[in-house]
Amino acid sequence: MNRSDGNIAQPLAALAPADPEMRTAACHRASALEAIRLALLRDLQLALRKRGQLVQPLAFFAMVTLLFPLAISPELARLRELAPGVVWVGALLGSLLALEFLFRDDAHDGTLEQYALSGQSLTALMTAKTIAHWLLTGLPLALMAPLAAVSLGVRTGALPGILLAVAVGSVALSLIGSIGAALTLGIKRSGALLSLLTLPLSLPVLIFGARATQLAIHGASFVAPLELLGALAVLGGTLAPLAAAAAVRISLE
Amino acid sequence: MRAFFDMGGYAAFVWPAYAVTLAVILLNIFWARRALERSRAEARRRLQMQREVP
Amino acid sequence: MNWTWFHRLASPPHVYALAARLTRWFAWPAALCIAAGLWGGLVLAPPDYLQGDGFRILYVHAPSAWMSLMVYVTMAGAAAIGLIWRMKVAHAVAASCAPIGASFTVAALVTGALWGQPMWGTYWEWDPRLTSELVLLFLYLGYMGLRAGIEDPQRADRASAMLAVVGVVNVPIIHYSVTWWNSLHQAPSVMRLAKPAMPLGMLVPLLLMLLGFTLFFIALLLTRLRGEVLARERTASWIREVVRA
Repeated sequence: MNRSDGNIAQPLAALAPADPEMRTAACHRASALEAIRLALLRDLQLALRKRGQLVQPLAFFAMVTLLFPLAISPELARLRELAPGVVWVGALLGSLLALEFLFRDDAHDGTLEQYALSGQSLTALMTAKTIAHWLLTGLPLALMAPLAAVSLGVRTGALPGILLAVAVGSVALSLIGSIGAALTLGIKRSGALLSLLTLPLSLPVLIFGARATQLAIHGASFVAPLELLGALAVLGGTLAPLAAAAAVRISLE
Repeated sequence: MRAFFDMGGYAAFVWPAYAVTLAVILLNIFWARRALERSRAEARRRLQMQREVP
Repeated sequence: MNWTWFHRLASPPHVYALAARLTRWFAWPAALCIAAGLWGGLVLAPPDYLQGDGFRILYVHAPSAWMSLMVYVTMAGAAAIGLIWRMKVAHAVAASCAPIGASFTVAALVTGALWGQPMWGTYWEWDPRLTSELVLLFLYLGYMGLRAGIEDPQRADRASAMLAVVGVVNVPIIHYSVTWWNSLHQAPSVMRLAKPAMPLGMLVPLLLMLLGFTLFFIALLLTRLRGEVLARERTASWIREVVRA
């Protein structure tokens, strides 16, 4: 594993020994929670080395937000009307772009195979990877959303609500996206296919999220759609890692 | 008879709708049969190749 | 209870022969039902008090929409069986369903649009049903795209099966959220027919068309299934007999 340095190789070895005889022994070395923690830390450490890559989805989000005033009108009053849609479409497309990073490097260098063979619950490891992915992409997108909203004429009072909605929604998006990413592992130039697979499944998140944002902008209570977003995130959290793990196994066969 | 084709003034919508559906039905029949033929030809070809290899 | 007939469904040569024999038993009744339905719907049924003769599009739109959803559920069911019991035949069924379902989804969308123009004054309307049909089309295209994108046939079977199962779980969620979204914006009402209940003269042709389309689907499925089963049996000896015939 040429990407690991000494810091990571040791716990990873505890996580995923290739030798089948050692597998049983290793299972006693790391509990499921340990495994999640190690995988999570590993992903975070490795991603922070390639900081440039993390900026791409954010830059894309900013670009998309720029496109709409140019394409429609610079009048803030009109843009305010469109703000929920623009913010969410931008965040959704940004998160789609970021999905490529989820499994690409690990599939490339064999780490994913190690995970599958490690004897650890692949579902737990998928959860860890998705959490890491959200922290690296979804959360930054959520932090950027208020900026995008301000540029579209949204009043500052609505911004916390927007941040919250996109934060919760992006959790669901990362989870849903992990399934498509796992299914398209190893397919060359799978970007368009991945989008085609993920977008229909993401529509409920878009609908509830945009509605929550719209209510926040008008100063009304956005609790109802936010709860629905939360429900989607929880549902995704329980089912998506399972599906992603199964999909990874299929892709590695 | 003319009244039938006129469809109460909606002829421009009703008949194209039926035409499209008929087209989809016919396309499916043609497509399914062609897929079967292709599979049979492919299987025949594979068998021939297997016989040629000692 | 003798379950041999069920176990034999896992055997490709048996399924191939069975499909070949059964096709005509579905194809001809399908043609009959559709012909009868057309006669009833186009000629015999009285015009709707609101929509006049325009409502007759129902007799092609409703069966198409029914097909799009029914075929997807069948596809997902077969996919699940293929995944759980690792049955090649089940995967062959799922693969056969996809093009049929996708084409009827397109038919449903086009006939829906043609119905919309005289009724609502617009070819497209973002009502829950049409919007959900559109999403269903993308689900089909995604499935077919994934199959096409994976080279290894077994991996393609299993990955697309996974996608179909995930999709079918999402269909109710998507439909609910689209309906919720639509109700917020108080969009004009969806195509409605003479309420309360449809008179028998209108209902019976509709049922005949629904039945006819379903039988047609089975006939198509059986035809495509034979090809799919053949393609999955690379070196089996039973192919020799079949191909010579």
